[in-house]
Amino acid sequence: MAERSVSPNLNALARQRGTVGGPVLTEWFAKPDLHTLDVYESLGGYSALRKVVTTMTAQQVIDEVKVSGLRGRGGADFPTAMKWSFVPKDHPGPKYIVVNADESEPGSAKDRYLMENSPHALIEGAAIASFAIGGHQAWIYIRGEYDLPYEMLRDAIAEAHAKGYLGDHPFNTDHALDVRLYRGHGAYICGEETALLESLEGKRAQPRSRPPFPALKGAWGMPTAVNNVETLSTVPWIMRNGGAAYASRGTEKAKGTRMVTVSGDVQKPGNYEIEIGVTYRDIIEGLAGGMFPGRKLKVFWPGGSSAKVLPASMLDTSTDLDGLKALGTMGGSGGIIVMDDSHCVVKAAARLLRFYAHESCGKCTPCRVGTNWSVRTYERILANEGSQLELGILERVSDGLQNGRCLCGLGDAAGWVIESTMRHFHDEYEDHCLRHTCNVGKALAHA
Amino acid sequence: MKTTSALSPHLIEEIKALPARYPQPRSAVMPALDLAQEELGYLTPEAMTEVATALSLDAGYVEGVATFYTLFHLEPIGKHRFYMCTNLSCTLRGAEEIVEHLRDAIGVQEAGEVSEDGLFSYEEVECMGACEYAPMCRVDHRYHYDLTNEKVDQLVAEKRHPAFPPAQARVASPEHVLVTPLPDPARKAATRMGPTDLPPRGGGDASEAAPPKKRAPRKKKADG
Repeated sequence: MAERSVSPNLNALARQRGTVGGPVLTEWFAKPDLHTLDVYESLGGYSALRKVVTTMTAQQVIDEVKVSGLRGRGGADFPTAMKWSFVPKDHPGPKYIVVNADESEPGSAKDRYLMENSPHALIEGAAIASFAIGGHQAWIYIRGEYDLPYEMLRDAIAEAHAKGYLGDHPFNTDHALDVRLYRGHGAYICGEETALLESLEGKRAQPRSRPPFPALKGAWGMPTAVNNVETLSTVPWIMRNGGAAYASRGTEKAKGTRMVTVSGDVQKPGNYEIEIGVTYRDIIEGLAGGMFPGRKLKVFWPGGSSAKVLPASMLDTSTDLDGLKALGTMGGSGGIIVMDDSHCVVKAAARLLRFYAHESCGKCTPCRVGTNWSVRTYERILANEGSQLELGILERVSDGLQNGRCLCGLGDAAGWVIESTMRHFHDEYEDHCLRHTCNVGKALAHA
Repeated sequence: MKTTSALSPHLIEEIKALPARYPQPRSAVMPALDLAQEELGYLTPEAMTEVATALSLDAGYVEGVATFYTLFHLEPIGKHRFYMCTNLSCTLRGAEEIVEHLRDAIGVQEAGEVSEDGLFSYEEVECMGACEYAPMCRVDHRYHYDLTNEKVDQLVAEKRHPAFPPAQARVASPEHVLVTPLPDPARKAATRMGPTDLPPRGGGDASEAAPPKKRAPRKKKADG
């Protein structure tokens, strides 16, 4: 069962595809005590930070990451080097790196997995990023439910301070570096970067209107780059092995490897590091062990619950991020939720809409009203009170939620759930609304 | 239950020291509410007012923050609180049935209700980021994975009688802090699936897999 705690079969998959190279993020995950500084350092940890602060300039760091082609792994897929270069170099006051460790996308658990296994990789990455933007402090905003990762990061930061790798004179240089922790208290919206910044400032987490963008006016009004845990955990590897080595991985446009979390109706759910460009068939049927005997794949969410669903017929879709965008969906946060033919799509969509309605911060009307409206509509449908009218309502509400009518993507995501499930499984919606029956449910003992 | 009247003097001092840790003092509001909740169990209006005073903030503002976040409680809760994930990945794996079982195990009818002995309450919460171990829950600052009705029973017994042997080595066991814990192959049994008509799950040897779990009939409340 070791394959669930270390990166499984990446090499095997890579060989299948003719790609050379082993795991990046999970390179050392098989080593016991990796969370301690001694073990992490004995494997080569902190050599990247040492190199950066003692021999490189900030611009050189940004250039190296630019060569790697690394893009943000939190869902937005934005080039990391470009994000850092937006932070003004001549700003007189403090500048911050804020680490988004508020992983709460349904289906995504990779950041937790990375932090629990290798907290020092995140700390090293965050320190390198701070150096790259000319800042001195990185703030890790970690969700309140993550007690264990929080404790591990806290201890790891203390270790790094004791060793002199963080502090006023890291590696005996004069560029002070510090990594600090801030705990969230349970709000999905904090995954959105401006809402996260509001929360970090001690406010209700409601997204800000942009501009100004965080790069100019972010945490506490100062220039800020917000990066995801996985993104920053990749940075030390890039600085150790060179941007070109990372760029040689993955596909032409979407470079490197990434983490995916496979959950739901598969035999071996887990966190897996994949070469970008493998297909969902490789992941779901290969790494995750496929469906249970007698069950067939029905639908999967390719990148967290906010990504538009893909039906089983699209299992050979590549994880290439641009390819997914062309399909109208996204690689998102890498949370792959798999559902087999024993579950009803309408019920699943209803459950997800309840989630979006609960997590809507209430700032923008289309999202606040639209999510709750759709929850009530789904409730009527599942109570066998639906009709053609309900189908029409869902379509209209879904449209009203989308297309940038809100300050952040939560409303869009809710709309996508309705729209994509209706598009691919209209017959199930019709069964519920027009015939007041669930043909899927009949196969279920508890339906 | 501890007193719910006001915060202790040393806690007030601790809260007053918080703002210095942040670039701007307002950031201290959530850590301060955290300390208050840790002491009282939940946030009373008096506690929020005292936090506001200690941080020189408006009481209404502090309450506004407290009401926004799921992890702040404004009503009394059990000494041990179960945060049960019922989001999609967990629901596909039978979370609703687990929650139903938990209700019986701790003797409450609905989320937020505190058991008679004051020991337990539960809440259905959204995704807690451990989807690969669905269904899962968080109890007293620790995650518990791959829940079955038996595991819930054991967990409840453990909390009721602290001397009870721990259900999972993961809880405060140093060697399990390192990596995400290795799952027990036996868990591949069908026990955590919602539908009962499914074949045994898991890789390979069907003979090792436990038979599908029959769902226990929901107990009627004896006293109505």
